[in-house]
Amino acid sequence: MSSTGTSRPLPLASPDSEGFTISRRPLLGFGLLGATIVVTLAVLIYLGAWASSDRIENRVLAASTGGVHDQGDWWEDSLLLACPLH
Amino acid sequence: MQNTALWFDRKFGLKEHTIAHYAWVIVGIAGVVQMVGAAIRMAFGVLVDPLVTTFGWSPGSIGLAYALMSIMAALASPIGGYLGNRYGARRTMAAGTVLFFLGMMWTSQTEQIWELYLAYGLLFGFAQALLLVPVVPAVASWFRRHLGLGTGIMMVSWSLGPALVVQALAVLFNTVGWSQAFMVVGIVGTAILAFALLFFRNTPEEAGRIAYGTKPSDRQLMTSGNIFVTTQQEFQKYVYKTNAFWNLINIHFLGCVGHSVILVGIIPMGISRGMGPLAAAGVLTTISVVSVTTRFMTPVLSDRFGSKAVMFVSFFGQGIGVFLLLTADSTWEFYTFAVLWAIPYGGEGTAFPIINRQYYGHSPMGTTYGWQILGAGLGMALGGVLPGLVFDITGGYGWAVGLSAVFSLIGALAIILLEPTRRQLIPDWPEIDSVTTTQPVAGAPVAALPGHGAPGGD
Repeated sequence: MSSTGTSRPLPLASPDSEGFTISRRPLLGFGLLGATIVVTLAVLIYLGAWASSDRIENRVLAASTGGVHDQGDWWEDSLLLACPLH
Repeated sequence: MQNTALWFDRKFGLKEHTIAHYAWVIVGIAGVVQMVGAAIRMAFGVLVDPLVTTFGWSPGSIGLAYALMSIMAALASPIGGYLGNRYGARRTMAAGTVLFFLGMMWTSQTEQIWELYLAYGLLFGFAQALLLVPVVPAVASWFRRHLGLGTGIMMVSWSLGPALVVQALAVLFNTVGWSQAFMVVGIVGTAILAFALLFFRNTPEEAGRIAYGTKPSDRQLMTSGNIFVTTQQEFQKYVYKTNAFWNLINIHFLGCVGHSVILVGIIPMGISRGMGPLAAAGVLTTISVVSVTTRFMTPVLSDRFGSKAVMFVSFFGQGIGVFLLLTADSTWEFYTFAVLWAIPYGGEGTAFPIINRQYYGHSPMGTTYGWQILGAGLGMALGGVLPGLVFDITGGYGWAVGLSAVFSLIGALAIILLEPTRRQLIPDWPEIDSVTTTQPVAGAPVAALPGHGAPGGD
């Protein structure tokens, strides 16, 4: 399978690439990727805020029934602040 | 060796294809690299209990090392792809082998949790990117045509390999303990990688051979020299300007979230619906085994009929298939789901090298593929988190299943918006003017590259 008789002159650029330009910007591809990032972050913030809210409620419940009242985590407050639905 | 291969060709009546070609050695080496590189990643679950017992670390803090490794591997993937393009896959994988060795040895001596994060999370994560990303574009460069066949075979070895290695690792961990097991795997793995790389060549030209599927009328592609480097940079700029480049990162991300949710959540989901742990684990094994068929078939079909349609069917099937889980309550329903869902799932990620070839021709695809693996890695990480998060909130997995479907179906929608694959999006990669091959080439003629050289199209 070896190639034989191969001469190796200086490679030449394909004529197709000379002066080739892509004039349009990749708005569709970039936009779809951006939309996915935004929606994914929104889903994560919503679920995270939901979980935070549950954790805080559980702590309050535990404290009211005589349990130890733990301090909340910083990320719980941050997620609740970031989510407009919680 | 070659005579034996030629004998097999005659024995099986192979005309269009041949097994007497060095491209298959490269495909075999790619399988070995993946097996060794991915072994410890796949076996992480086995590591958790010994570390909890030895050091008293919480499973959550140990799990963070895995998350760090996954994210590091994802973020470093474009770098791995770029280095593969710039310095060759062999050198890049050699650097990855050194990091693999250092990561394994350091992990085996770990006494503090931060050492685990550095050794396993960062060092080993980076090694993964250097080992696993450049090898796929390198394999592609060995196939002038029939890339689907080469990719399909490589993908089969990739899914079967780790499954075998994980069993061996589990035995090793139980026999000699986690620390020595890491040392043994580090030394043996490095030796295997180093040996395999001895036979690896970045391109057919570097090995003094011709690519699989080359026809006598084909001219040689440019693969080295200063002009190679500058042309590569020029072509990569073209690639960045296409919608497909950004959309394919997006699509790989969406697809990986879709199946990662199921792969991570299926066992606890089965147990929560009354299955035993062994039966639930069997569902995951069934998915792994059945998906091998489409891991092989998807690249082959994509090569022949165009990647876009095949990828759409995979994503759509993966998205629709998960709804079977919403009503699954018995063992046989879970196993039915496993068989039916594994078919589209197996085809989710294996067509990317083919669609890259169809869109970007023979231009080096390392950087492009590296960015796609970045999307995939982050998708896998996110999908791994969702089932647990959703269960904590709702006490069930219904929402997680719904999210999996939504991500896969949005991925299918994004595939519809891709450009048709019958037309190449950037210019043809330059050929060297005068090349003569004096012998007929096996594995040669199928569909001649139309116009801009895109094999297949839809």
